Amino acid sequence: MSLIIEVENVGKRYGDKQALEGVNFSLNQGAPVALVGPNGAGKTTLFSLLCGYIQPTSGSIKILGHKPASSALFGRLAALPQDAQLDPRFSIASQLTFYARLQGMSKKLALKDTQRVIAMVGLQDASNSRPSELSHGMRKRATIAQALLGAPEIVMLDEATAGLDPINAKEIRAIVAEHANDVNFILSSHDLSELERLCDQVLYLESGQLKQHTDLNSKESERFITLRMKQEYPEILPSLMAMQGVTHVTVTQDREYLLSIAITQNTVAIELELLTMLHKNNWSYAQLINGKTLENQLF
Amino acid sequence: MVRLFNTKRGLLALLAFATIWFIILYYFVSSAASIVTSNAFESMAHQLFGALGLSALLDWPVSEYAIYWLVAVYFFPVFSVLACSDQICSDKQRGTLRFITLRSTRLELIAGRYLGQLLIVSILIMLTIAATVILASVRDTALFGESVIIGAKLAFELLIVVMPFIALMSLLNIIVSSARMAIVVAILFFGLGPLIIAFIKYQLGQEFYLNLIFPGGQINSILSQNGLDGSHYILPLIQTVVLLTCSHILMKRAAI
Repeated sequence: MSLIIEVENVGKRYGDKQALEGVNFSLNQGAPVALVGPNGAGKTTLFSLLCGYIQPTSGSIKILGHKPASSALFGRLAALPQDAQLDPRFSIASQLTFYARLQGMSKKLALKDTQRVIAMVGLQDASNSRPSELSHGMRKRATIAQALLGAPEIVMLDEATAGLDPINAKEIRAIVAEHANDVNFILSSHDLSELERLCDQVLYLESGQLKQHTDLNSKESERFITLRMKQEYPEILPSLMAMQGVTHVTVTQDREYLLSIAITQNTVAIELELLTMLHKNNWSYAQLINGKTLENQLF
Repeated sequence: MVRLFNTKRGLLALLAFATIWFIILYYFVSSAASIVTSNAFESMAHQLFGALGLSALLDWPVSEYAIYWLVAVYFFPVFSVLACSDQICSDKQRGTLRFITLRSTRLELIAGRYLGQLLIVSILIMLTIAATVILASVRDTALFGESVIIGAKLAFELLIVVMPFIALMSLLNIIVSSARMAIVVAILFFGLGPLIIAFIKYQLGQEFYLNLIFPGGQINSILSQNGLDGSHYILPLIQTVVLLTCSHILMKRAAI
């Protein structure tokens, strides 16, 4: 697997405020990567550094072997920066065609590619509309379309589904999932279930520092089972603890239980036993997750 | 270009420009030219223009250009400051610049926007020259050839005059966050700048030639159009290069 992003000891200071400090990580080509953290953790700052919008105070960044904002990255790195808007005075199609032309496409190819990305985000009927005539969600989809122009190798989406209705958010997730094999997506979102569904790796930022670089497919997390119940059943906790192979049960939140499984135990057998027990007691469950939820892994 | 000729705001600005120049050409250039050429006022006009050191302008066969030049040489620099006040500010504010810089270098952006503005101002200069040519030709068709030649020369002169003004607005667009702020800073620069320089000179008792940083410093010497040589173009061209270089250096480090 080839290295796509290399961040070494990167720091960014705004006046007295240290927005990022000593951030180190490297990402290989592969499944989408999630960038997670509370508000003010430095996610957007890190995005801006990777896209070359701002310069780091210290450290170095390499994207596909080049410095951010290098002309060698034009057309290879695409991004949806948070809150960035298209020009309200020109139609979406004309702006996307202009961006495609800047990426080096011929006029004919740029027009064709514009129609392709507009169709991908479901804006065919609004392609000749100006952004000022569209709703917030539609404007957001248009900006996502600009990130999909051409054949980028890396696409960074900062809060791509924020402000979108569930159907359109699902569409965007479907686009990411569909292209995840060809494109390296880096996603930032506050919707952990969304990231959990799409991403294999998680970068967790807190107070400007990279606290965790987690692989969601690691074997360690598979020694857990997360059970979400539809209702509250007072007798369920002792029953779960009594199960063979379950070493510990934590109530992670209302009606959600995290079962720790002994390493020696066959997880599948426990799952079957658990489902049988739920069925016998007529307890309705909402979700059964193999491993920890992303939320439980991070917090 | 598209912003000027293909957007509502651009067309409105163009209409305002056309209205102003209609007034200038119709009421001043056209009627003033007939006054200048009339025998009754000829000696008075010679005395007046002579007192201002502009008598060479009266020797032009197309006298419309005497008034045109006096208006245009001050109008276009001011117009450039206003019309070129939003080269990248609104794109920066809106975040559109973030889409563009993923596809072009910052140097290309600065140079592209500067050349675009220069092209727009050039087109507008040419349009006003064309209108003056028509005015002069309507008065006397024999003047057409002469007026085209003088018009081309004046268009070139005006282009050199406006170049550093547009470059100054490029620089201010990188420093400030809005077009309005860029205009305010430009007004302060031209209004308070000479006072500050005079104060420095008075305090230190030495000439630092700081007045060379102001675009348009050569306007007074080119106004008479008498004995012009290449040296008159050097200052605005150097100012343009310096201002654009500063713009590039600042833009390279700027957060967008």
